[in-house]
Amino acid sequence: MSDGRLRGIVARLRLFGRHLRGVATRTARIARWEVSRSVGTVDRKTALVLVVMALAISTTGFTAAGDGLGLEREIYVVGVDEDSRYHDVAVDSEQFRPVSLSEIEAESGGDANADSVTIRGDASVDVVVTRDGRIGHTGDNGEAAYDTFRGAVEEYNAKLMDAEDDQSAAYPVLVSLEYQQRDLAGSSESGANDGGETDGSETGTEDGTGGGGDGAGGGADRSGGDEPATGGGTDGTGGGDGPLQVPNVGDGSTASTAPGTPGSIAPPFPFQSLVLAFLFVVPMNFVIQAYGSTIMDERVKRRGELLLVSPVSRYEIVAGKTLPYLLGLIGIVVAITIAIRGGPIAVAAALPIALLFLAATFAGAMLARSFKELTFVTVTISVVLTTYTFIPAIFTDVHSIALISPLTLVVTDLQDGSIRLGEYLFSTGPFYLCAAVLFLLGIGVYREEDMFAQKPIPTKVVDAIASRIRGRRSVFVLSILFIPFVFAGQLLAVALLFALPESFAVPVIIVVAAALEEVAKSVHVYAGFARSRFDATLRTAAVLGALSGTGFFVGEKVTHVVQFVGLPDLSVGAAAFGPAVSSDPLILVAVFLAPLALHVATAVCSAVGASRGRTGYAAGFLAATLVHAAYNLGVILLVA
Amino acid sequence: MLALAIQLFIAAFSSFLVVGLVSLYDPGSVDGYQTDVAVTGDDTLLSVANQRDGVSAQRYDDRAAAYEAFETGAVSAVLDANRNDDGRLSVRVTAPEEGLQTTLLVVQLRDTLEHVERVERQQNAASGRLEQSPVPVPSEVQASPYAGFTYTILLPLLCFLPVFISGSIVVDSLIEERQRGTLELLRVAPLSLADVIDAKLLAIAALAPLQAIAWLFLLTANGTSIAGPAALVVLVAALSLLVVSVGVAIALWAPDRRQSQLLYSVATVGALVVATILPEHPANTVAKFAIGNPTGTTWALLAGYCLLAIGAFVALRRWLGRLEPDSL
Repeated sequence: MSDGRLRGIVARLRLFGRHLRGVATRTARIARWEVSRSVGTVDRKTALVLVVMALAISTTGFTAAGDGLGLEREIYVVGVDEDSRYHDVAVDSEQFRPVSLSEIEAESGGDANADSVTIRGDASVDVVVTRDGRIGHTGDNGEAAYDTFRGAVEEYNAKLMDAEDDQSAAYPVLVSLEYQQRDLAGSSESGANDGGETDGSETGTEDGTGGGGDGAGGGADRSGGDEPATGGGTDGTGGGDGPLQVPNVGDGSTASTAPGTPGSIAPPFPFQSLVLAFLFVVPMNFVIQAYGSTIMDERVKRRGELLLVSPVSRYEIVAGKTLPYLLGLIGIVVAITIAIRGGPIAVAAALPIALLFLAATFAGAMLARSFKELTFVTVTISVVLTTYTFIPAIFTDVHSIALISPLTLVVTDLQDGSIRLGEYLFSTGPFYLCAAVLFLLGIGVYREEDMFAQKPIPTKVVDAIASRIRGRRSVFVLSILFIPFVFAGQLLAVALLFALPESFAVPVIIVVAAALEEVAKSVHVYAGFARSRFDATLRTAAVLGALSGTGFFVGEKVTHVVQFVGLPDLSVGAAAFGPAVSSDPLILVAVFLAPLALHVATAVCSAVGASRGRTGYAAGFLAATLVHAAYNLGVILLVA
Repeated sequence: MLALAIQLFIAAFSSFLVVGLVSLYDPGSVDGYQTDVAVTGDDTLLSVANQRDGVSAQRYDDRAAAYEAFETGAVSAVLDANRNDDGRLSVRVTAPEEGLQTTLLVVQLRDTLEHVERVERQQNAASGRLEQSPVPVPSEVQASPYAGFTYTILLPLLCFLPVFISGSIVVDSLIEERQRGTLELLRVAPLSLADVIDAKLLAIAALAPLQAIAWLFLLTANGTSIAGPAALVVLVAALSLLVVSVGVAIALWAPDRRQSQLLYSVATVGALVVATILPEHPANTVAKFAIGNPTGTTWALLAGYCLLAIGAFVALRRWLGRLEPDSL
């Protein structure tokens, strides 16, 4: 290598380094402005009012904390005479208000029987205790009230017993609970045969780890009990020998509890950890409000124009404006983690959630036309993301589906479980990718002609996507970029529906999955046509469709990561992601190429529709979805 | 429309969450689940356990045989019962570590063992070892475990959510008019500032009771009976007027959107917390009206909310009358 060349490279490197430093300083300066301005806007008047309110809330909060919120106070009425023992129960319990029998009895009968009470027509009462101590219920809510009353009696008894001197007579039963693993068939090839399912065609799923935490429930099945509806069928498809790794969450050594009363034994359910994990999501909902406001502020009255015309790139502006909020969120997450004694894993799992919250808010704030719309956008983001992260985490320890949410990692971490890298990537990968794509799309419309224009949201979405289209190659790339959203959407659908009966869930999932994939394959093609990036000819449409379909196919191969986490074990999972790959080479080729043909065909179908305008696009999209759903159904019927 | 759709989603979300949580918390509500357990040692457990639905106990004289049956999967759990010197029954439960199945199993075993405890306790009381005999527990009944939740959490949520959203809308809408300067344009019209704001306020405040009515209809269609719909609608209307009036005042007083939204949300959340010092929390009031067991206090509070709302509205009007439009 000649000396001159080396010097050239060094010079270029130095230039690049200076450029990077420039980017960093400019970003940091914008971040500093953002902080100083946000702090400056809270004036003394508001701060004073806020302090007063906070004081009032905390004082009453502390006084009220002692006796609870009282949401259930006296919601039911029980008719009982003062001398009955149940009267004390009613007075003691929170939910019941006792009334004496004479208040609710019909006037007609002068002689009241001991075992029956005739209730006046207009008396409102849910539970009635007769004079000889028999209990009945009446009215629409009578059963629920009766059930609650039963609980109240048990509580009252517990209080009585606590007051006894002879505790061994008061609590005559001691229970200690021991969890023990058992290996039913004795080999790792054991099928998780699921008796009593809707179909009898189970072929035995590979259970690589040999009886992990994932419902390999043989005992109850053999004795004829059927899987409860919430279990989700492990409906094995294909007899291949792929290294399916069922993440064995909650798989520890044999645990046992100290001896206690029967009431004290609790089923294994990570309720507390779940509530703690929820703490991570709560502050994010508040931070995105402020973040959305600051982005929106730039767009009102053309305030952002000054920054746009300065020699700062829009990437630096957005990075600078986002940085303080991201750092703030990380600070909060770290503080919470320390407070609830979580590990670094909890922070690492909460980070992608924070990123996605910010990214979605940024894109939403770029699209909204007014603060009012922004409020709706942020509420939608809060609800959707909270659902997505929270619902699957409920099933931590129960099913591997829980892993689709990063919160599950937090819960597992709080329970001192271990997390593998694959599991981390599986649950946070879609979050990182979605956040990146959303930021890219938002930055695409961070320019003068879009920021200050009053266009409806759908038009702006189309604009944002069209701004990313440069030539036909980008159609291919965009199809791949949308896959994280499809993936996340399908996972959300699976998470929402897997608890429902299969006869309902599977068809719905098939249609939803097909529709989501078709949207991802066609929306940018439509945007391209609508913004005249392409000529609206049949040939262009066919080429674009083929490109988009192929792109999606390539990207979709990435989603086969799912199979390594064992999601297709669920029959709803199979409906969304296709069945597990078989080992037969001929079938393998067919399995490999058939989706390609399908994706290209349906993408061409919707692309041709898209070239004919909005109604044409709707028709083409519908047709593509139907074809796709039919194909998925066919494959599942064929393999199952 | 969007507001309704979002609320529908929130409601669906919360009810789904609850169904999931409750069925995990109370898995006994999943019907048709039968468990075989092995019982060794003391006989008391066997007779009581077999009286119960859902559990069928088998007697194993040999402890090793019982554990053998557990290992092969013939029984789901082993209960090893022994009597202590002081007459206590000590039970060692061995359950498999199998996720959801275990949760169901443990809940069933807990119910069974609690029943055993009651029977034993009754005997202790009869033999005079206890000063006070426990109150007999009524027999079980099939009741929806969601009823309490529907009335005490879901329904108040559905009633208050439209109110909060209405308030938020009014804050946003007024702040936006101020920041964009469109309030100036409206004032060129032959209307006073108070008239313009009144119209906005009343239109938005009326949204909440309408949404509440829609929710009540949906709930009724879903099989949840609402005893006092009229009282509920009046309650929501009063709260809506109150909250929207406060929202208007905040929007006109605070300098920009971030501060007004901050003040508004802190104020509403704060009001909910402060409301716990009332004799009845507003959510409790809603539950009582819906179930149909309102007391005198409930009615008095309803009247109080109405008066408060009208008072806030009148006060706001007066303030608006004295407010200099140019100061905005």
